[in-house]
Amino acid sequence: MRIQEPNRAGSGSSPTETVVSVLMVGVGGQGILMVSKVLATLCQAAGLEVKQSEVHGMAKRGGAVFSHVRFGAKVHSPLIPEGEADVLLALEWAEGLRWLHYLRPEKGVFISDVRRIVPPFACRDRGRGVAPRYARSTPAEIIGRLGTGYALDATGIARDLGNERAANTVLLGVLSTALDFPEEAWLEVITRLVPPKTVDVNRAAFLAGRAWVENAVLPEPAPEPAPPAADPLLGRIVNRLEITREWCKGCDICVKFCPERCLALDAEQIVVPTDPEACTGCRLCEWLCPDFAIRLHKELPAEAAPAGADVGADAVGAAR
Amino acid sequence: MTDGLRNLQGNAACALGAIAAGCRFYAGYPITPSSEIAEWMAAELPRVEGVFIQMEDEIASMAAVVGASLGGMKAMTATSGPGFSLKQENLGYAIMVEAPCVVVDVMRGGPSTGMPTRPSQGDLMQARWGTHGDHPIVVLAPHTVAEIYTETIRAFALAERLRLPVVLLYDETLGHLVETVATEPPPPEAVVERRWAEVPREAYRPYAAGEDLIPAMARPGDGYRAHTTGLTHDERGFPTQEPAQVAALLDRLLGKLDRHRPLIERVETVEAADADVLIVAVGITARAARAAVRELRRTGVKAGLFRPVTLWPFPEGRFRRQAESARAILVPEMNAGQLVLEIERLAPDGVRVRGLPRYDGEPVAPDAIVAAARELVG
Amino acid sequence: MNEIALTSADRFDIREYLRLEMFPHFLCPGCGHGLALRALLWAVHELGIDKDRLAVVSGIGCAGRLSAYVDANTFHVTHGRPLAFATGLKLARPDLTVIVITGDGDGLAIGGNHLIHACRRNLDLTCLLLNNEVYGMTGGQVSPTTSAERYTTTTPAGNREPTFDACKLAEGAGASFVGREATLQVPTLKNLLREAIAHKGFSFVEVISDCTEIFGRKNALGNSPEMVLRQKAGMRPDSWGNRVDRPFRPNPFPTGVFVRKELPEYRELYDAMTAAARRD
Ligand SMILES: Cc1ncc(C[n+]2csc(CCOP(=O)(O)OP(=O)(O)O)c2C)c(N)n1
Ligand code: SF4
Ligand code: SF4
Ligand code: SF4
Ligand SMILES: [Mg+2]
Repeated sequence: MRIQEPNRAGSGSSPTETVVSVLMVGVGGQGILMVSKVLATLCQAAGLEVKQSEVHGMAKRGGAVFSHVRFGAKVHSPLIPEGEADVLLALEWAEGLRWLHYLRPEKGVFISDVRRIVPPFACRDRGRGVAPRYARSTPAEIIGRLGTGYALDATGIARDLGNERAANTVLLGVLSTALDFPEEAWLEVITRLVPPKTVDVNRAAFLAGRAWVENAVLPEPAPEPAPPAADPLLGRIVNRLEITREWCKGCDICVKFCPERCLALDAEQIVVPTDPEACTGCRLCEWLCPDFAIRLHKELPAEAAPAGADVGADAVGAAR
Repeated sequence: MTDGLRNLQGNAACALGAIAAGCRFYAGYPITPSSEIAEWMAAELPRVEGVFIQMEDEIASMAAVVGASLGGMKAMTATSGPGFSLKQENLGYAIMVEAPCVVVDVMRGGPSTGMPTRPSQGDLMQARWGTHGDHPIVVLAPHTVAEIYTETIRAFALAERLRLPVVLLYDETLGHLVETVATEPPPPEAVVERRWAEVPREAYRPYAAGEDLIPAMARPGDGYRAHTTGLTHDERGFPTQEPAQVAALLDRLLGKLDRHRPLIERVETVEAADADVLIVAVGITARAARAAVRELRRTGVKAGLFRPVTLWPFPEGRFRRQAESARAILVPEMNAGQLVLEIERLAPDGVRVRGLPRYDGEPVAPDAIVAAARELVG
Repeated sequence: MNEIALTSADRFDIREYLRLEMFPHFLCPGCGHGLALRALLWAVHELGIDKDRLAVVSGIGCAGRLSAYVDANTFHVTHGRPLAFATGLKLARPDLTVIVITGDGDGLAIGGNHLIHACRRNLDLTCLLLNNEVYGMTGGQVSPTTSAERYTTTTPAGNREPTFDACKLAEGAGASFVGREATLQVPTLKNLLREAIAHKGFSFVEVISDCTEIFGRKNALGNSPEMVLRQKAGMRPDSWGNRVDRPFRPNPFPTGVFVRKELPEYRELYDAMTAAARRD
């Protein structure tokens, strides 16, 4: 989906004169570090100063990962302040949404795969077959709120080329249209940095990404996979948040970390559940509350299971 | 020699007294002239299922002693001036959390590194006021090897009874002096065991005390799960800055000494009843003073000795009564004049007080005391 | 409704390990020390340690205050001395599980010497050093772990002193278990602590914590959630190696278990070596 002619990052001026900030986000295992390394190498080769810093999220596959790349003639801070990213490149849809406020208002370019990867924390204790309730905003809703944005099924494109894992390079192709480096330079660096066996598919993926920008069309939303047969009891587990209001200090950690966005601070700066239905019981809020103000209870209606019954232990055990 | 009689150096007598009193933990750091105590403890403690550890410094030694004490063991450490200074931090902690323990200071010449192998009585005031803040402390000052043995046993008894660190103070000469000592097991009444809390957990308040001002201790593992802190705390043991609770805690801590004065105080007097000149001396100096009294009496001067075995809290009442009939008081000591300050404060009006300081690393000789006493009443 | 509890996380209600009457605790909003305490108590829970047999010893500082909140035998001792105190406690009471909580100032500055020797001795203690790069309690002065050029109240022009690597220090001093984790990773930290506590001998765990109110503000590190994410920018698991993104970032601050070796435990060794003395 293409909204308008892309802004060249750095508002038209050459990137050598100003600092260009590219924020790359995704989840572990998607190859975000490779993407940021390609960009950083490219900039270095072009004689620019590059600063890069990244964070591994929950330290395991599927956890949030982000990388700040800033380049220009002289770069001081490696970190991109909120609202100052020229490009937000999201390898995963929900991560893209989470970082939107980092994008430069009006001018920033948003590039995202529409694929959603539900992080392990969000699905950890969800019963088998319970529909995901994760990051429900659609690409159309989001792009409608932004100046420039590309939302594409990069994973699908890469799959068609023979390797789903080249989705990151497809997105790199899209990114390349927003920055002032020649195509050959990109290809040269990609060829140098990717594993030798994957050079061909990555070159193809890069070119496919560039081509996609030229004739972008709105992708069909990826169909939700048909839910497998659910354990009828697990489907009825209710996640109940117990909040000790007197202990909450309004630090906002739980609100910002909740993958389902179902917590908020009220007028007194104390946490309240805003959408209890959406809570998947991931416990991130409970674990990251420094004040122990949140306790999550998993409950079954009395008629569904007698007290103390070993309900669905196998199913839940598998999802653990 | 009968069984139980041994020729021992003062430091050895201290170690054996500690074991006899039930001490089962020793943590220390070597320093002359106290190191023999550690060496004896290292050899003796394993025999009685005790533990010896040489720590990385005196601060750590004192901390470990308090830890072992709160864990339930009778615990001791020994040092000399420089190390005593380092122990003051956790000595204060022990006072605040009411951890029974015994700290030995074998005094040497100071200040600073001073004279490691020469005797001194320079720490009389450090022993009383070494740690910061208003605090109670008991300091015992034996003057013979035999008395080191018995006073070490008494130090443990007082520490346990009062939940207070007790300092045993003697100088290098006594530490290294060899005398014949009866190292018999102490009579049962001389050994005091820890008073552990026995009430149900709900009824237990860690720092609530009865008439005797000494709370029963919570033994870790007995289910009380108490909190111990060096912060000013309330009866539950939790930090407070509430003036009434702060005052209540300090009143009780400081009040311990007065409440248990008869138990704490020990004084020896020699011909003091009719003395014109009363000599006040502690530790090794009291030995010279005793000889001086004998010599003065032989030559017709009515001299007497007042020897506080319990140096702090100073036995004020006993001293005032003794001093009333005296014309003059002489205070020989191996420092520049520390004990004499306390005596000047306590002496009845009209009684002349004179110090006899010596701080060159040599003991005060009987002759000097005799001469000074003659001069005072002559 | 019936509560179901199938996983350790379901069963662990931290409030069962807290002195509820002491709450809310005194830490600032977002302070990372609270997260460290959760991980610790969760590990205690998973190990099935009886609260009556648990001793928590802490020094002075915001980190040092944590012991007061734990429903166990707790000792809040003097600044820098918790390891020395715990050494005495553990020797007197081998039956207790003794855990020491210290801070970067408490454990590496004033208490650095005790840390070295505790590592060397290998007495069966577990030491958690909550590293927030600053003296939080006293209002934000520089500490031995403050990063280069960070601002503190005593480094108004930025910190110039090199930074201590607490784990390397512990390793060099001979600790038989050494690990590091960040408070962000509560479950991973819990696992690390569980292993550390179960380890026979001295175990040292450095916890990367956040001083949100003082250090965070002074250095404009963002609000609490941002700090939780961002202060860890320089960290990742040791097991990831140094490969992924060379040459742009080395791996200055690895996490994970760095040392895990079997060495004779101090007390067992003491008992064995003094057995002869006990017999005669
Ligand atoms: C002997 C002594 N010196 C100084 C202090 C003052 N003091 C209290 S806490 C502290 C620093 C604590 O820093 P850290 O261990 O990093 O703990 P944090 O507060 O950061 O958790 C200092 C210097 C003290 N209590 N005692
Ligand atoms: S409210 Fe808590 S448990 Fe529920 S989804 Fe959000 S973070 Fe997870
Ligand atoms: S993390 Fe805890 S203290 Fe912070 S806002 Fe949420 S509930 Fe309140
Ligand atoms: S000052 Fe810093 S370390 Fe201390 S409680 Fe506040 S945020 Fe935590
Ligand atoms: Mg700190």
